Amino acid sequence: MKSLLATLALSTALTIPALASAQPVTLKTTLNNYGGDGAYLALYVTDPSGAYAGSLWMAGGKSKYYEHLRDWYRATGGDPTQINGITGASVGAGRTLEITLDLADALFDAGYTLHIDAAVEDMRDSPNEVAVPLTTEGAGTPVPGRRYVSDFTYDM
Amino acid sequence: MRKILTALPLIALLPAGMALADDDYEKSSRGEGMSRDAVMQIARENGWTVHEIEMEDGRYEIEGRDRDGRKIEAKLDPATQRLITSDYDDDDEDDDDDDYGASARNPAPAGTVAPPKNGLFGDGAPPKVQVN
Repeated sequence: MKSLLATLALSTALTIPALASAQPVTLKTTLNNYGGDGAYLALYVTDPSGAYAGSLWMAGGKSKYYEHLRDWYRATGGDPTQINGITGASVGAGRTLEITLDLADALFDAGYTLHIDAAVEDMRDSPNEVAVPLTTEGAGTPVPGRRYVSDFTYDM
Repeated sequence: MRKILTALPLIALLPAGMALADDDYEKSSRGEGMSRDAVMQIARENGWTVHEIEMEDGRYEIEGRDRDGRKIEAKLDPATQRLITSDYDDDDEDDDDDDYGASARNPAPAGTVAPPKNGLFGDGAPPKVQVN
C-alpha cells in the first residue's frame, strides 16, 4: 500500500505542474454568408500521430445533428461526455464565434492540429473545414476555411 | 444535414382556423414576434401532437407527431411567418429521443459543468464565448 501511495504522490506531483502550465487562448471563427441556418461547428484536436486527442468546443446543442460533423463523429461516436461543459449555440451565417479557453501549453509546438467540422441543415456537410497546426508562431494568422468558414484565428 | 425527407411550406395548407392567430401574425409582421400560444394553435390546426417547442436561432422549433403518428419537426419563422415541416422515417434513429427523453442524450452546455478532463484544458478560468 505504501508503494501505491508513493506512486500516487509522485504521479500527482508530476501532473499538477503540467496542468498549471496553461494560458487563455482565444479561438475566433468567422462564417461566410452562405445563406442557410445556423452552422454546427465541432472544434477538436488531433495529436502528432493524427489520432483524436479531445474536443475544444461544440457550437450546437442537439446531439441528433452531430453525425453530420462527420470526422468528429467518427472519432468520438457522438459521445456527449466529450463535449460536456464546452457546448454553446450554433452560429449564424456571417457571424463570428469567439471562444476563450484555458488551454494547456503542451498543445503548442508539439505537433497537435486543431480541426473544425461544419454542418448546416439542408446544406452539404463539411468535415475538416479547417485544419491548422497549433504553433506559437501561427498565432494571430487567419486561416481560410473550405465551405462555411471564412477564416479561423487563434490568439494567445 | 440532409436528414429531411420532405420540406414544404405549409402556410398555404393551413385551414380556415388559422384566422384565430391573425393577431399574432399582425404582430409578427411588425417585428413583435409570435406568442407560443399562437404556435400551439398552428400545431393544433395541423393535427400535431406537440412534444416540445423551443426558440432556436430566432425561430420556433416544434417537435412532435403528425396525425399519422409520424415523428415531425417543424420550424416557424416569427418574422416571415414561414412554416417548414420535416417528416422522419419510423425507423429513423432520431426516434431514440422518445426512449431516452428529448434532451437526455444532449451534452451539458458550457457554464453548467466543468470542461472535460481530456488533458487539453488547464484548471483555470471556465470557457467564455460570444457571437458577434
